[in-house]
This record gives sequence, C-alpha cells and structure tokens, in this order.
Amino acid sequence: MSEENPVVLVVDDEVQIRRFLRAGLELDGFSVQDAETGADALRWATIKPPDLVILDLGLPDMDGSEVLERLRAWSSVPLIVLSVRSNEAEKVRLLESGADDYVVKPFGMAELLARAHAAMRRHVRASSGEPVVKVGPLAIDLAARIVTINGARVMLTPKEYRLLQLLAQHAGNVVTHQFLLKEVWGSPHLHDTHYLRIFVRKLRQKIETDPTQPRILLTELGVGYRLVAPEPATAAAG
Amino acid sequence: MAGMERLRRELRGSVIALGMVAVTTVVVYALTQSLEVRRGSVLYLLPVLLAGWHLGLIPALVAAVAGVLWSGYFFFSPYYSFYLSRPNEILNLLLFMVVAVVTSHLANSMKQQTELAKKREKEVGNLYAFSRRLAAASSAADIYRAIEEHLASLVQRKVVLFGAAADGQAKPEQAAFSQRLHGAIADVQAGRTLATTVDDGAGDIWLIRRVSQKNADFGVIAIDLGSVPPDAIEEVRERVDDVLSDAAATLERLDVARALNEAKMRSETELLREALIGSVSHELRTPLASILGAATVLSKSDAIAKDERLTSLAGVVRDEADRLNNEIQNLLDATRISREQIRPRQEWIEPQDIVNAALERRRRRLSAHHVSLDMEINLPFIYVDPVLVEQAFGQVVDNAAKYSPPGSPITVAAKRNGHDLVLSVRDRGLGLTAQENAQIGERFFRGARHAAATSGSGLGLWIAKAFVSANGGKLEAASAGAGLGTTVSIHLPFATPANQPEVGPDE
Repeated sequence: MSEENPVVLVVDDEVQIRRFLRAGLELDGFSVQDAETGADALRWATIKPPDLVILDLGLPDMDGSEVLERLRAWSSVPLIVLSVRSNEAEKVRLLESGADDYVVKPFGMAELLARAHAAMRRHVRASSGEPVVKVGPLAIDLAARIVTINGARVMLTPKEYRLLQLLAQHAGNVVTHQFLLKEVWGSPHLHDTHYLRIFVRKLRQKIETDPTQPRILLTELGVGYRLVAPEPATAAAG
Repeated sequence: MAGMERLRRELRGSVIALGMVAVTTVVVYALTQSLEVRRGSVLYLLPVLLAGWHLGLIPALVAAVAGVLWSGYFFFSPYYSFYLSRPNEILNLLLFMVVAVVTSHLANSMKQQTELAKKREKEVGNLYAFSRRLAAASSAADIYRAIEEHLASLVQRKVVLFGAAADGQAKPEQAAFSQRLHGAIADVQAGRTLATTVDDGAGDIWLIRRVSQKNADFGVIAIDLGSVPPDAIEEVRERVDDVLSDAAATLERLDVARALNEAKMRSETELLREALIGSVSHELRTPLASILGAATVLSKSDAIAKDERLTSLAGVVRDEADRLNNEIQNLLDATRISREQIRPRQEWIEPQDIVNAALERRRRRLSAHHVSLDMEINLPFIYVDPVLVEQAFGQVVDNAAKYSPPGSPITVAAKRNGHDLVLSVRDRGLGLTAQENAQIGERFFRGARHAAATSGSGLGLWIAKAFVSANGGKLEAASAGAGLGTTVSIHLPFATPANQPEVGPDE
C-alpha cells in the first residue's frame, strides 16, 4: 500500500520541524523520507527519487539554494522552499532558480499542503497534457485557447491571454514578475513591473466578480502573481 | 639625457630670440628710413626683455649681443658695419647684458613662486578633501582607504596600504604580490624591521615601511618605486620618506588614530548587536515554527477534529504562537528602524493589492470582527515599497482588532483624496482622548486604558509610522473621544495622472 503513496523528501536540520512535517504529510497520505543535511538530501534524491521535495534554506553543510541548484541540474521534481519572512529578493531568486513555490515560516500545514499539491498537479498536467484549468467559475482551455466564465466566452487581447495562460500553467503556485515579463514582453522589459500591474488590472476586470477583491488572480507582494489552486476535480488526474 | 634636452631648449630659445631681433631690425630699418631716427638703439631692449621674461637667460644674452651689434650697424659710426668701436656701444652692450640677466632672473623667480603657490594650493585642496573624507568615514576600512589614496596622491606612485593588525581582510591587490613581498610586509607589520625595499621579481622595487614610524596604528604601506637602478634607490627612498613623514604628521594632527579606534569599536558593537538579534530571531522563531506547525497538524487529526473543545485548544496554541511571532517581528523591525536599515524597494503597485494582502494575512485574527471594505475602483497606481506599506497597514488593522470588542465592525477603505491615496481603518473601539492622540505613534507609548484592555509592546504604530514615512507618506489618527472608536489613516502621495506608469505594448 505504502508503495503507492507519493514519496516526499523533507530536508530540514531542525528535528522538531521534521517531526511535525512528517506527521502532517503522513496524515495527508505521503510517505516521508527525512534528510538533515544538503549532502543527505542529494543522496536520497538519487537513491529514492521523491515525488516532492520540501527544502529548508538553513542547512548545516550547504546553503539550501545550492541544494536546489544541484538538484535542478538533473531533476524536475516539484519542490517547495521553507523561507523566512521579509526577504522578497531571496524568494524571487529561489523561484527563478527552479523552486516551484515557498511558504514562509512559521506556516500552517494546510498552506504547505496546498502549495505542494499545486506543484505536483502542475507536473502531472505538464506530462499528461490535461488541457483545461478550472478555477472557480473560470475555465482556461490551453489547447483551444478559449477562456470562459460560467461557460460564457471571455474576450482577451493576445497579451492578456498569454499572461493568463502562464498563470494557469502554474495554477496554485506563485509566478514571479520577472518570469511573466520575460515570457510576455521579452527580456528587455524584465523590470517594467508596471506593465504587469496595468494588464493584471484589465484582466481582473474581465475575470473577477469584484476586481477590487480578487478571488482568482492574487498578488504576492514583492514577488509575483498566483492563480488560486484549481479544484481537485480537475487535478484528480494525478 | 637631461643635458641634451636642456641644450635643445636653449637653442630653440636662442633661435626665437634671434627672430625677435630680426623683426626689431626690420622695424628699426623702416624707422631710420622714414623718420631719420637717430637714437633707436633703445628699441633693441625689447627683444632682450621679452627673451629674458619668456625664454630664460641664454636666449636673452643672445638677444642682447645681437641687438647691440645691429644697433651699432644702424646708429653708430661707422654706419652699416657690425664693428663696435665707440664707448657708447660698449656701454650699450653692458646695459643690454645686465637687462638680460636681471629680467631672466626676475622671470625665473616669479615662475618659481607661482608654481610653489599652485603646488601649495593643490596640497591644501588635497588635505581638505582628505580631512573631509576622514570626517565622513564610517569604518576603519573607509579611513584606511582614504589614507591610501591620500598617500598615493602625495607619493605619485602606486601604493597599497595594509591596515593595522585588526584589519585582516585580504585586498585584491594583495593577491598579486609575490612571496618575497608578503614576507617583507609581514616583517614590517610584526615590527621586526621598520622599513625595507624588496624586488618583486617583475622588475619593480617596492619600499615597505610603516606609514608612521611612531604610530603603528596607521598601518604598513607598500610603495611601488618602479624600476629604480640599485644606486638610485637610496635617493628615491629618502624622497618618499620625506613625503611620508609629512603625511604622518598630518595624520597625527587630524587625530586619525582616535577615529580609527572609534570606528573599530563601533563595528565591534555593531557585530555583537547583529549577532544577538540574529540569534534571538533564530532561536525564538524556530521553536515557534514547530509549535505553530504542530498545532495545525493536531487540529486536523481525526482524534482532535472530532472534539470541538480540543480543536479550539489547538486553535489557541496556533493563535498564540502567531501572536508571539508577530511580537518578535516587531522587535526585529524596531531594531531595523533604529539602525536606519529601512531601504524601500519601490515599484508601481495597485493600492488594493496592499489592502487585500494585509487582510488575507490576518484573516484568522480578524475572524471575530465584521470587516467591511470600501475601495474605490480604478485608483491610480502608487510608487512605493509594497511590502513595507503592507506591514504598516497590517499594524493599523491589528490595532483596530485589538482595541475594539469582538463582533464590532471594522471598516477598511482605500480612497483618493486630492493628490493622496488614503488607506484607512475605522473601528468602534476604545477610541482616543486628545492627549492620547498627541502621543500615539511614539515608541513604546500605550495609553493607560489601552494597556488595561490588552497586552502589547507599544511598537506597532511606531513601526507603521516609520514604514509609511520611509515611503514618503504620513500616518494620522482621529477619534471623537474615549469609547467612540478610532480611524487611523495612511496617506501616500501618488504621482499626478501624467506620472502614472506607461502602458505596456499589447501586440
């Protein structure tokens, strides 16, 4: 039975954090493998390739970002970083070097699980080619390039669609300003965050019930945007 | 080499002097032809004066001799011959030579004085710049860098300064030094020798010595003397020694040693404080993360989820851990503010995003209140550090929830007011007396009524105020009086519509 459970590799040097993570993850149906050091983590990642990695940044032997980089050299496993507050620049850097998402310490289990499941669903979606992302009343058909709200077609400009498409592909996970700017407007506009602000405002007016209190397209201050996690029904493919 | 150079200069001067005599001759010839001038020999003083002033002694003497010969040719019998026979002519020759000597000497000393004055002015300027840099230096490393540059400008050679023993960091220049050089530097630093010269193996001679022979605090300096022949080293070294002993006296006079010691002490205190804050932050927050995380796992476990009382207890653990975490964050923020480490990272941001993020983060803390939102649609974008403003606004929201009874309404608004964006939070809580309002936002201030109502550190609004003003805004509180609720508003200037961000291309 446990053979079929998804394996999560928890990398943290604090034993108490590992204990509650193990309890919470096992309750959620994961099979947990602990690692106390970066070297340990990299070893386990090759011996027993995990379905998810939870990585703390402060490790005794190497920086968490180094573990991330070395892991990303050969693996695309979904990975969530445990970060500390008020260092937005660091979060952005980690996301740019391949982390799928982060949670800020201290965090609740529900928050971590939501991020983790979103990251895992994205990997499944990427491999299975599941074309429709549904978020509340919003449905984005990535194959047909059609966006509907409660079944009614929403007309988007090409750039608005591209923006929504990128967010939908990462639904449930944060996407950095830099990534969006690069993909939508190209590298010369990496720092033109205001382009995003204006297009997101337009997009919200088309897809949100109340654009002043968005429920679908959320802002992560100083980092990027997040489309809320799609319903489990859509993601149950995994 | 220098002799040749000099000869060439004198020759050129003499040629120019002869040219001037020739021009004078043309003029004199014209005058004698048209005006029958008989006493024109004095005109030949002109080239002598000019040559003496501008070209030096030799060209002036050349001009004098040539002038006397020509004036003899024109004005003294036998006319139209260079033969000097009359005492007048001899006298003229002597007079011209004296003028040549006196003029060139005067010119020479004038030039020397001008140069000296210029040099002194430059030195004073350098010294002034140096002392200003010292005054502005905030660390020992800054001071050493200033000394290094000052000495380099004095010696006019490449210099590398090694601070006193405490200054352990390696410099990039240092890496390129040969083993021999390193050895010599270590010797001087350890005081085994006062000064020494070393060949760096690449053809350059380096002089290594203490900046001041009396005061080791100023460090050890390595000066690149260039490729000096062995017999000239002593001479170059003496010249550099002279400059350095002057420089060392200047350093003494400016009390650089004291400044250095103070800077070192400051950085040690700073390090200690940083280490303390870092460890407090880490040591307190790591267990908090475990407590809070464990509480959330417990509340979801079957055994506890079944029992409402146990679920609420797990909630208490979580909420209190959350509150403790908040207080720690406040302490850290307060330290950052006192150390002036708030550096806003400004960007264009949708005002509502700030409000929504702050409310979302506090959803649990606000769950007992009725929060209503009143946000204007299409507010202009603001150019602020969104994270700082969100934290400031969050503090205001926290206060509203803390000082108003559960179940009471809290109204959050985002509106435009003239050239300001106003984010406001209105509660129906304790309110403020005029006196309390005057003190609100002071560090550690808590009104007696507020302190009685609930615990707190009195840092929240002070932090909010600092974060808001770091973004060019201001924070204000208004209340009709005790028990009548409070409205706290954050005013942030937004640029005029013309200054709104440019719309990105859509195609």
